[in-house]
Amino acid sequence: MSFPLRSILLVLLSSTLAPMLPAQSSGPASQLTFNRDIAPIVFRSCSTCHRPGEAAPFSLLNYSDVKKHARQIADVVRSRTMPPWLPEPQELKFADELRLSDADMNRIVTWVEQGAVEGAPADLPPAPRFVQGWRLGQPDLVLKAEKPLILPPEGTDTYWNFIFRLPIQQTKWVKAVEIRPGDKQYVHHANILVDRAHASRQRETDPGAGFGGMEIRIESQVFDPDSHLLFWKPGTIPYVEPEGMALRLDKGTDLVLNTHLQPSGKPEVIQPSIGLYFTDHPATKLPMLLQLENDLKLDIPPGEKDFLVTDDFTLPVDVDLMAIYPHAHYLGKDIQAQATFPDGTKKTLIHIPQWNLNWQAVYRYAEPVLLPRGTTISLRFSYDNSVENPMNPNHPPLRVKGGNRSTDEMCHLWLQVLPVNFDAANGDPRMVLQEALARHNVEKNPADFEAHYNLGAMLQARGNLDAALAEYQAAVKLRPDDATGNNALGAALVQGGHPAQAVSYLQAALKARADYFDAHYNLGFALAQQDDFAGAVEQFQAALRLQPQDAAVEANLGAALAEMGRYADARAHFQHALLLDPTQPIAKENLEALKEMNPR
Amino acid sequence: MRRAKFCINSMWLGTVLAVLCGLATAQQALDLEGHAVNPFAAASGKPVVLIFLRRDCPVSGRYAPVIQKISNEYANRATFWLVYPDKTDSPQEIRKSVADYGYHLPVLRDPEHALVKLSRVQITPEVAVFDRDRQLIYDGRIDDWYIDLSRARPAPTTHELRDAITAATAARTTLAQKEVRGVGCYISDVE
Repeated sequence: MSFPLRSILLVLLSSTLAPMLPAQSSGPASQLTFNRDIAPIVFRSCSTCHRPGEAAPFSLLNYSDVKKHARQIADVVRSRTMPPWLPEPQELKFADELRLSDADMNRIVTWVEQGAVEGAPADLPPAPRFVQGWRLGQPDLVLKAEKPLILPPEGTDTYWNFIFRLPIQQTKWVKAVEIRPGDKQYVHHANILVDRAHASRQRETDPGAGFGGMEIRIESQVFDPDSHLLFWKPGTIPYVEPEGMALRLDKGTDLVLNTHLQPSGKPEVIQPSIGLYFTDHPATKLPMLLQLENDLKLDIPPGEKDFLVTDDFTLPVDVDLMAIYPHAHYLGKDIQAQATFPDGTKKTLIHIPQWNLNWQAVYRYAEPVLLPRGTTISLRFSYDNSVENPMNPNHPPLRVKGGNRSTDEMCHLWLQVLPVNFDAANGDPRMVLQEALARHNVEKNPADFEAHYNLGAMLQARGNLDAALAEYQAAVKLRPDDATGNNALGAALVQGGHPAQAVSYLQAALKARADYFDAHYNLGFALAQQDDFAGAVEQFQAALRLQPQDAAVEANLGAALAEMGRYADARAHFQHALLLDPTQPIAKENLEALKEMNPR
Repeated sequence: MRRAKFCINSMWLGTVLAVLCGLATAQQALDLEGHAVNPFAAASGKPVVLIFLRRDCPVSGRYAPVIQKISNEYANRATFWLVYPDKTDSPQEIRKSVADYGYHLPVLRDPEHALVKLSRVQITPEVAVFDRDRQLIYDGRIDDWYIDLSRARPAPTTHELRDAITAATAARTTLAQKEVRGVGCYISDVE
């Protein structure tokens, strides 16, 4: 009795499905199936992130996973929201490009329109295999954030910085870093900065807990330019540095992980870890990060739909361009960088026609791009501060200027370059680059404190002290209360043999920042040069309280004490200096001198 | 003709087609114990708000604090239900998700999409607002927070759910739009 009814039911079901089949589509569109046509695309372009434990919110590992999101997938591949890849196709290819080909995109859309049919089991390619745990195997060193951040369930995006204190006792060379940002679903991107001077620790109110802030800058005491882009975004495969390009990490260095977090609707515990892979081979190739920017031009009136900011920098040396990282905030619209070669030909370095901060990324070139000396790199970023930009943080729009908060705007382009074809006898080509860049910035904006400061530092490093002094003086004139600027000017004056003039600047530095190690040290030195040894002892002691393990301060303190005739105290400090650093030359020499003076 | 055949076969398929055939009596959604529940029966004359969510939809998740805020605010004026239309979701999985997001609202499973069809919703998260006379006065997005799946505004600029509840509780206020599609995950993908 039931047989006939069942057969009717089957007929009915197929007839209701019929309109969904591609009868209306023109041309001989054959029936696409998941197993034959779609699985290879999904396995290659989706499953890397869409699987348990990864960044994407649901898995796409088999037919039923994909079927449950079929229409959504068709929508997001058609709009090119997924896979996330912002740049337009261009001649200079990027590595690990996620963009779907038009053919693959059309295949997915057609398959969904045809009813998302599974197909013959025999057609299904083998399931993708993924490495579990650390992608490159067990790291040589794993660091976990000391304290987790509890991400609140709601509110705007959060920017949090975790400080990792490196427990290494000697210099290490890093060939790869794997960032595990915690629960990947809520971390939009993460970025590691190398902090060699503990500058970030001062910003932690609760040690080990990290600190908030979207953009951070880290001061460096010596010429030690940032050289590596250590970036994580969903789907990032850890990058192994090319031969010879390892990153140097010293004892006492901190790594700062800057994260962009998005609330999920429920509280989330975010506790990132970092895995470091070392190599025995010190770096032989020294890349550096070039930054083009023009934040001071960012003064965008409300309602402005197409506010253009540019910067053009001409390279003083040949470089290989390895990677590029454009950065703007929520008003960013059309982001472009172009190279104009010495012969006048132009090539697009990157073009993102619809900027989206949420999917910002570092883009590495599939092959290094040679940019000869004389090539001009041009940045052209446009901004939309109208109501028509739905990402506009202000409603109604307000005037927006350059700044570090997410509601401020930015215009930055970082390029990782490796100087090539240079003669090492002419000095470090990175210094030539850095000086050219600082000079460019001073010309671009004479009121740019940092540009004057950096140019001063470059000139000083090159031994051109008079020119350096002029730049530092310009910097201090712009920011009379800046600790760093005053200290640098003071230090340069001491170096130039003007310790008396240096004192007031060094005191100003300490007025701005009482716990400024460098300024105490430099002031101690300046006072000692003027035979004010009691004053010098006081400053060296203050420096030592800030950094008790510093052998050079110990040696100088000993020397000042010896000058005052306090030989026993001096000896103790020299000995301690040698305990900290058995090669400390001043301590060694002075200890010998003491022995000769007083054999006791 | 086809429609009539459908109705005959509805005997076999259960309640889904009953709704399609216009027999608007049996909304056979289930509570987490598996009992059939009519969300309108318990409404005691108040407007009813059905909130459709998918556990695997990140936009559904991000809306949890918004949904809680609005349902708290209007708790005395309307009856709220969370509705999960994915038939592959087990009651245990739904219970866990509801607890994770800290909801204190009654929960329904809608495996046959009886409420989905009655409410005309297509996406999660979307809502359906019924007035005291059980008339559907609004279906669609909660607000315009999301622009598309990769972009959200810093804050919404429209508030369709609040407007609809206000209209449903007022005497006879008309809504500008009875239907505004949301951004999120298709319900038809889990049919």
